[in-house]
Amino acid sequence: MLTRNRLTLLMGLALAVAAVVFKTPLASSQGLTISVAYVTGELPVADPFSELWNQATAVEVPLSAQIIAKPIQPATNIKSVTTRALHNGEEIALMMEWADPTRDESVLRVEDFRDGAAVQFPLAESLPFYCMGQQGGDVNIWHWKADWQTAINARQELHDQFPNMYVDQYPFTEEGEDALTAAYTDIAYLTAQAAGNLMAADVHASPVENLVAGGFGSLTSQPLERQNVQGYGEWSDGVWRVIYSRSLASAESDDVSLAPQTVYSVAFAAWDGSNEERNGTKSTSQWVSLQLADFDAAAVSPAAEETPVAPFSLPGWLWLILLVLLSLLVGGSAFYYHLGTKRAL
Amino acid sequence: MPDVYNWHLGRPMTYPYAEDHPQRQFVAVFNINRCIGCQTCTGSCKATWTFSRGQEYMWWNNVETKPYGSYPQHWDVKTLKLLDEAHQAAGVTASWDKSQADDQAAPYGVYNGLALTEASGPNEQVLGYLPAESEWRAPNFYEDTSTAYKGGAFGLSQDGAALPEHQAWFFYLMRICNHCTYPACLAACPRKAIYKREEDGIVLIDQERCRGYRKCVEACPYKKSMYRGTTQVSEKCVGCYPRVEGKDPLSDGVPMETRCMAVCPGKIRLNGLVDIAEDGSWIENPKHPLYFMVRMEQIALPLYPQFGTEPNIYYIPPRWAPRPYLRQMFGPGVDRAIERYTAPSRELLAVMQLFRTTQKMIFRYEIEEGPLVREVEVNGKGWQMYDDTVIGFDEKDREIVRLSVVEPLHERSTERPNSI
Ligand code: SF4
Ligand code: SF4
Ligand code: SF4
Repeated sequence: MLTRNRLTLLMGLALAVAAVVFKTPLASSQGLTISVAYVTGELPVADPFSELWNQATAVEVPLSAQIIAKPIQPATNIKSVTTRALHNGEEIALMMEWADPTRDESVLRVEDFRDGAAVQFPLAESLPFYCMGQQGGDVNIWHWKADWQTAINARQELHDQFPNMYVDQYPFTEEGEDALTAAYTDIAYLTAQAAGNLMAADVHASPVENLVAGGFGSLTSQPLERQNVQGYGEWSDGVWRVIYSRSLASAESDDVSLAPQTVYSVAFAAWDGSNEERNGTKSTSQWVSLQLADFDAAAVSPAAEETPVAPFSLPGWLWLILLVLLSLLVGGSAFYYHLGTKRAL
Repeated sequence: MPDVYNWHLGRPMTYPYAEDHPQRQFVAVFNINRCIGCQTCTGSCKATWTFSRGQEYMWWNNVETKPYGSYPQHWDVKTLKLLDEAHQAAGVTASWDKSQADDQAAPYGVYNGLALTEASGPNEQVLGYLPAESEWRAPNFYEDTSTAYKGGAFGLSQDGAALPEHQAWFFYLMRICNHCTYPACLAACPRKAIYKREEDGIVLIDQERCRGYRKCVEACPYKKSMYRGTTQVSEKCVGCYPRVEGKDPLSDGVPMETRCMAVCPGKIRLNGLVDIAEDGSWIENPKHPLYFMVRMEQIALPLYPQFGTEPNIYYIPPRWAPRPYLRQMFGPGVDRAIERYTAPSRELLAVMQLFRTTQKMIFRYEIEEGPLVREVEVNGKGWQMYDDTVIGFDEKDREIVRLSVVEPLHERSTERPNSI
């Protein structure tokens, strides 16, 4: 008999097939191209409102909830991101912009989750799975975190969250200093920090973490000396604007290396902390093309094609029939599974 | 999802990973009847592991007063409610079939309901919820609050109280991580950052791999995985593993009881390691005090076995609390456990002397028989007490403790009644 999990997997796969074939119900971003315009001089790496961004064509990339691997939150909040990209021959700057009425930039309390966004590049020639890559198909991920961004200016401390808290002293901290903020003399008592976990670091040089992954659950932070992605994020009037920047080339095998006049693949993800979105409960895009313009400014590619190319050219009514058949398959499995649970008891 | 065998449920159970058991399992028996609610255990853990910034609300060991106390607030009622809703949605009634009981494979009968990994729906590995910070804040709320008598002036009883069950009651429930055989925390972690140790079954969170997603906090039904906001990762009871490994300077190279066990003035805790077979069953070892009490006498029971994690802390249920409440909490073995605890067998009485008499873990006991010292009636039946001597041995089979059932009495001479 089909177990619950196999069924879930089957249903997931059916939906994934639906996503690829029908481009529904998952939002599809296949066929989109983001042109990385060439500009001379400094890139606006910390200015989302710079005039220079007008040189890049805005491309809206649709996102949909990750529904393949548990845990799954089918109702994620962020439905699309608007992207723009520039390069100057040395560096790339990529901006993601999305609507989010709530600004979640603290993770001090157990129920608080951060807003976040990520850009993902395949590390292999052939495209791995668009969500976290797969075994033998690693991906390089740049993950921007709202709380890391905020901490660069002012780190949120416990007493910001709990203004009335009182402590005499925490053992193994500098004596004579304010107990609430005194530095640790032995970081063994900041266990995760002592274990070298980047999440636990006191300060972050950049709000963007540089990671590598090869399938669900394999996400790994790159060592501190290879944290080479810069970032800047700003929230205003219900919109996050986040810029990622890095040198085009990287010698590290876990980093994507980019060159002008070349086409790459890229995927996006975003999290809304207020909706308890974290890890796999997120909105993701599929692979999108990223086309770097030549050095010559005149060679800036024309505006990106926003109409995706249909995978097969079949008449609309045939699509409808296929969609109905597929819904029956998914619905039927769900019903069968429902009976199965009853029988198993 | 593969099925695993859960002997608490007496049946195979859905779990995301296939069976792969440790060689030995960290186990303890807690005798609720004897706990004085002093919180020495709680303090000892705090003073050892959780005194740092960001751990203020973390109590890996806590003692709550049932029925109202709970840390985090209402953890058990909330999880029971979720489970109940899942049963209703599936049209299933959760019940225990005691007719299918089997001493080895199903000592409490067969559970016909859904475990938390089976009630979780298509989107989660485990049914659970994430308690908010406000729920962790008051670990001792409702301390010593008992249920009330109905009627009578000032709610006082006209007839007083009598065993077996008091009308007004409370009891202490002392809790640590259960180092479960099928940990819900481990099942829920999307990063495989939680692992169960091969050598002793202690469940740990890898502090390097954890990314603070809090899926374990959400999934652990006992709420013993806790989030630390200052390091942005989760932490949990580490089973005092350096002591269990025999690395404490005092331990003489043999496994030692954990901090919270070794400090207990109420002498309610006995902690040790039991040998586990490849299929996860306990290797028969009748002269191991934990094996004897849990598997043979069956006086100590798992907490909420229906959750399905196969927890490894076993409780001797309190004699005086209402049975339906206790059956919900410890499963259908409650009546037999209380009956056998109230009028213990000759061997059990001797073994129970071993609680909290040495810091070293006891791996084997022997009994030297002594004389009959008392004959009374318990629950309408004759009961004899013998002054036997019980001897405990450590991992290297060296004698570490020797006790008689009747405590030796020393009387001061009349000339020096006040001298020390
Ligand atoms: S009690 Fe909770 S934290 Fe401990 S092993 Fe079991 S599920 Fe994990
Ligand atoms: S076993 Fe050790 S770490 Fe766990 S609750 Fe007891 S004292 Fe704390
Ligand atoms: S130290 Fe022992 S007696 Fe005191 S509260 Fe803890 S378990 Fe109970």
